[in-house]
Amino acid sequence: MKVIAASEIRGSASTSDKDLKAALGQWLSNPPRRIDRLIFQALLGAAALKEQVRSDCGLYLASRHPARPTMIALLEAVCVQYKQPKPFEFVNSVSNAAGFHVAQQLGLEGPNLFIGAGPRVWSQLLGLARLDVQAGVIGQALLLVVDECGDFCVQGVLLEGDGELAATSFAELTDGVDVQRLEFGFTA
Amino acid sequence: MTPVYLQRGALQCALSNDLAGASQAMAGGQRAEGRPFALHELRQPRTYLNVPGDDVSLDQRLDAVVAEALGADHGALSDCLLIVASTSLDITALETLAGDQGQFLPSDSTPLDLVAEQLRSRWGFADAFTLNTACTSAANGLLYGARLLASGPFARAVVLAFETPSALAMQGFGALDLLSPSGHYRPFHPERDGLVLGETYAAALLSLEPGDAPLARLLGGFSACDTSSLTTTREDGSHIDWVMRQALKSAERTADAIALVKLHGTATQANDHAERNGMLSLYGEKMPALCVLKPWLGHTLGACGLSETLLLMQALQQQQLPGLDYAAEASLPLSGEPVVLSDGAVLLANFFGFGGNNASLVLQCVGGAP
Repeated sequence: MKVIAASEIRGSASTSDKDLKAALGQWLSNPPRRIDRLIFQALLGAAALKEQVRSDCGLYLASRHPARPTMIALLEAVCVQYKQPKPFEFVNSVSNAAGFHVAQQLGLEGPNLFIGAGPRVWSQLLGLARLDVQAGVIGQALLLVVDECGDFCVQGVLLEGDGELAATSFAELTDGVDVQRLEFGFTA
Repeated sequence: MTPVYLQRGALQCALSNDLAGASQAMAGGQRAEGRPFALHELRQPRTYLNVPGDDVSLDQRLDAVVAEALGADHGALSDCLLIVASTSLDITALETLAGDQGQFLPSDSTPLDLVAEQLRSRWGFADAFTLNTACTSAANGLLYGARLLASGPFARAVVLAFETPSALAMQGFGALDLLSPSGHYRPFHPERDGLVLGETYAAALLSLEPGDAPLARLLGGFSACDTSSLTTTREDGSHIDWVMRQALKSAERTADAIALVKLHGTATQANDHAERNGMLSLYGEKMPALCVLKPWLGHTLGACGLSETLLLMQALQQQQLPGLDYAAEASLPLSGEPVVLSDGAVLLANFFGFGGNNASLVLQCVGGAP
């Protein structure tokens, strides 16, 4: 496998969902409605690579945390106010909701996996994608990692081909690759 | 796909705190006693199927099933991968925290790999990750765990699947109007009225070698995303049909080689309708034996891929898979009589979920009737 395209989206903690939605408009003509921050972030990382993505692509998505605003809304509604959760918030809280929207918007027909991002996330995503590429299930693999801890970062790589590729980080994977970058809310 | 053995399995579910007990209870016609809870604001009662025993921590539950799946003489786990498949993870602890504090702060959020990392550190697994694809999480855990074994980096893999009695899940599915008001869990019944959630803790040890007393052999499987809707699959069953066909292809089997199909069968109107159409597309009117397991376990969400697989294979091995008491009324020809499969028989197991994830596994009986 080799990396044929990559993206990196960075934003400050103050970046609003409205800012993310506006940025998404440059790549997607009809972005989904009532989505949460994690879905926006995953969509941005993927949409930046949209031009190179084919339908025979699998998605391997990871996030360190769920969308915190969604979790706060759900936990406070259910466990503090003893109210019914809003249906769209509950559905968005399903971890693979972000993967669903990426697959729908980009027309991906391959497997769609979500893992919790930990210290070995890139080698784990690569290992899963390699299985599907080598089995001939897909021709391309889109790997996305979302991390928000105060500021946020979304990194994406699009892989193709069946050669061996071993890497343990985004930097290693994208060495020598032109990475599409976008930044929100940082001042010099 | 290179076949992989389920060497050993452990299951705690509403029927029993062990796999053999659950299989015996199911064979004896025992149904789990549901516990009532009320939907917030609506004050309407719904039913939840709890695992027996209240004073057991999550860590104790997880360690118990991991220990049982590994066996007493497991040795160092530096060759063993751990895959954690769950939608609830540590949510019940976060629910308690939010209730106690009267709020939930961004800093209270825990990493999604927390449980997997804690288990890796506690047990010494070579690697561990959390796989979350809604109700196909554990099915994907089995499928990708098996394929990772065949590709070389690990000699063994433990798939750990669990769902805790989460208030968010109970109220969330209630808000979607998907929970059964009657508490009678009847997939494919014309008067089905939704799902009944269930708690479970399950683990399986996968290996290329059979071990002393393997439970089953995983021959293949397939998983893909139906992007037509976030909460339902295509009503015409075409995606389900395609996923089942791809699963059979990966196992180098044909549809007519299948002796039994374990249906996903959530008892929601949309899912059962789509799965029925998928089965009709694949088989027409002449179908193999069919079964469902959720009436006994409840819907164990992300864990159902393992809880149902373990209970099914144990029941088949012990010749204890009962018929369904309402089979004559069901919209698919579910078996009304006990199902007995011979050693080496091949079956298909379906698991579908939110996020468009549909998965099918192809399993082979090891043991069973001669």
